[in-house]
Amino acid sequence: MSTNFSLKIWDSIGKIGINLIVLLVVVIYLFPISYMALTAVKDEAQFGDPNAPVWPSRKVEMEYEGEPYPLHVVPFEDGNRELLLVQPRRNASQFIDPAEPESGLIEWEGSWRTLEPVYESYFTFEAFSDWFEILDFRQVGYNTLVVVGLTEIGVVVVSVLVAYGFARFPIPYGNVLFLILIGTIILPEKITLIPTYFAFINLFEWQGTWWPLIAPHFFGSAVLIFLLRQNFRTIPRELEEAALIDGAGPMRILFSVILPMTWPTVVTVALLHFFFIWNETRLASLYLLSAPDKHPLVSSMLARGGFISGANNLQARALITMVVPTIVLFMSQKFFMRGVQITGLEK
Amino acid sequence: MFSSSYQAKRGRIGLLLISPWVIGFVLLKLAPIVASFVFSLTDFNMLKPQDISFIGLSNYAALAQDETLWSVVFGTIGLAVITVPLQLLFALLLAALLSNESIIGRNFYRTLIFLPSIIPGIAVFSVWFGFVDPTSGWLNQLIMEPLGLPPYPGPNSESGRNLLLILLSLWNIGPAFLILSGAMMGVPKELYEAARVDGAGPVYRMLNITLPVISPAIFFSLLISLITVFGGSVLLDRSISFSSGFQSPVDWYIAEIMFGKQALGYAAGIAWIMFVLVMAIAVYLFRTADRWVFYPVE
Repeated sequence: MSTNFSLKIWDSIGKIGINLIVLLVVVIYLFPISYMALTAVKDEAQFGDPNAPVWPSRKVEMEYEGEPYPLHVVPFEDGNRELLLVQPRRNASQFIDPAEPESGLIEWEGSWRTLEPVYESYFTFEAFSDWFEILDFRQVGYNTLVVVGLTEIGVVVVSVLVAYGFARFPIPYGNVLFLILIGTIILPEKITLIPTYFAFINLFEWQGTWWPLIAPHFFGSAVLIFLLRQNFRTIPRELEEAALIDGAGPMRILFSVILPMTWPTVVTVALLHFFFIWNETRLASLYLLSAPDKHPLVSSMLARGGFISGANNLQARALITMVVPTIVLFMSQKFFMRGVQITGLEK
Repeated sequence: MFSSSYQAKRGRIGLLLISPWVIGFVLLKLAPIVASFVFSLTDFNMLKPQDISFIGLSNYAALAQDETLWSVVFGTIGLAVITVPLQLLFALLLAALLSNESIIGRNFYRTLIFLPSIIPGIAVFSVWFGFVDPTSGWLNQLIMEPLGLPPYPGPNSESGRNLLLILLSLWNIGPAFLILSGAMMGVPKELYEAARVDGAGPVYRMLNITLPVISPAIFFSLLISLITVFGGSVLLDRSISFSSGFQSPVDWYIAEIMFGKQALGYAAGIAWIMFVLVMAIAVYLFRTADRWVFYPVE
């Protein structure tokens, strides 16, 4: 009885322990995000101020005879007092006690520069409104919608069809083709970039258009095809054969047998593409160099980065670019975290 | 069950289904690979494309003498040797930790671990450059100084830059973590139960059940990390632009030659060297995979 009881105690201590460890690891892992969030809402004045605390804040100022003065901690023999610095001088300064301004100026000997200002927490969204001023978010939103929407349709439809072909049909040399498909995942992008860039720019004259960003996705994505095909193969053949005997064609089998059972993976694949294309800035900044008003959100904020570059603006930009994918990730977390299953990478 | 003419018909349907990918492969992969090789045998320059002439292997002869090239190649390999195992170990550790059933809110934690991998590249770089800034960043103020550690020198020094690249690689583990987590969830519970009855501890279960069963996922994660460090993008896009400094050293050098000097012939030569290098590593991995990747009988 008592050993059983102490076992239970050890068990719950272990459970609490592992929960605390996980919490600690995740907090450390995401720590820089809190830096971003707090820096984005800081007041501009805080960056040049060496005394400023880490959190968003500003100097406390109070009015005396209609003028604002900063509050400082002033040491006296009988302890520190918080006073308004009215007359700063190198050797002796004059202060006002905000609690009893009528008692007049207070003299203090010493350099006012050694005194610490009093801070209060203060948040401002100026860094965000700067971005809303220089970016036409309606135009940028439209661009993003076009690029994300069209590539999403192309890549999902084509990848599903190709994966279905690889998973279910006796394609001549199908295994060799599938090996080539895996090989293209490993292919370094730079090797295809140089001739593709040349062809897109010089032969097709696609500079400044959306074509180079959209068209390649209509040939499917190797890694997404791979993930879908792995999943399609887990559906028992018998289900398909029953439908075949009923006279169903390949397309009807795809829609009435395969997709109803594998849609979480299809949605996961669509989400993976969404995160990919939302973050894509390399091709956008390469091919849309001459068309600044065609950039999707992330690359347009990258392109305009030179105009406002305060530390708070940079972190505000980071927050603006990540807010949509973050919301999508958390809304879809239930099945997203289960949608990618790789078991048996056969050769 | 089905006749051979029926099978042939199904084969044709299958071919039709995969045809978009086949066309895309020929147009967007095969032709550019060949063209890249042809370019590498010429002195092709984007600024004067009409002056192109065939120069044989001269680009490769020049590349062999190019000291910058070899330093960036070894720099990239060095980076891969450190970051690839580190990413894999970290992703495995987190996936294993979060597969423990007594953790409250496991799915939420998993999403949080995946979060940095969906943040756009520019956001990641702004955040980390700000975070590690030697004077205003939090790394020195809130971590190094209170713990009595030497201050971080900033991203402009050689060691500071490498350290930052290593830290950044830990924020790229999303896809590997996702795949490893998924695989761990898929391990049949009966296997653990049987081992528990035999008195096997958690470490034994991890080494002798979990790791062998999820070895295909480990292999795939390893490939993903490897490709990413050599500048590819699988499921995750991290680089900001082709000309930005924060990518692997080789990638930076190719972009420099390609967009800076517009010397496509020479850049194509470097790309081919990269191609051979990455393929050699991948083939080597696939070869050794026979010995440690466990393939279930299908």
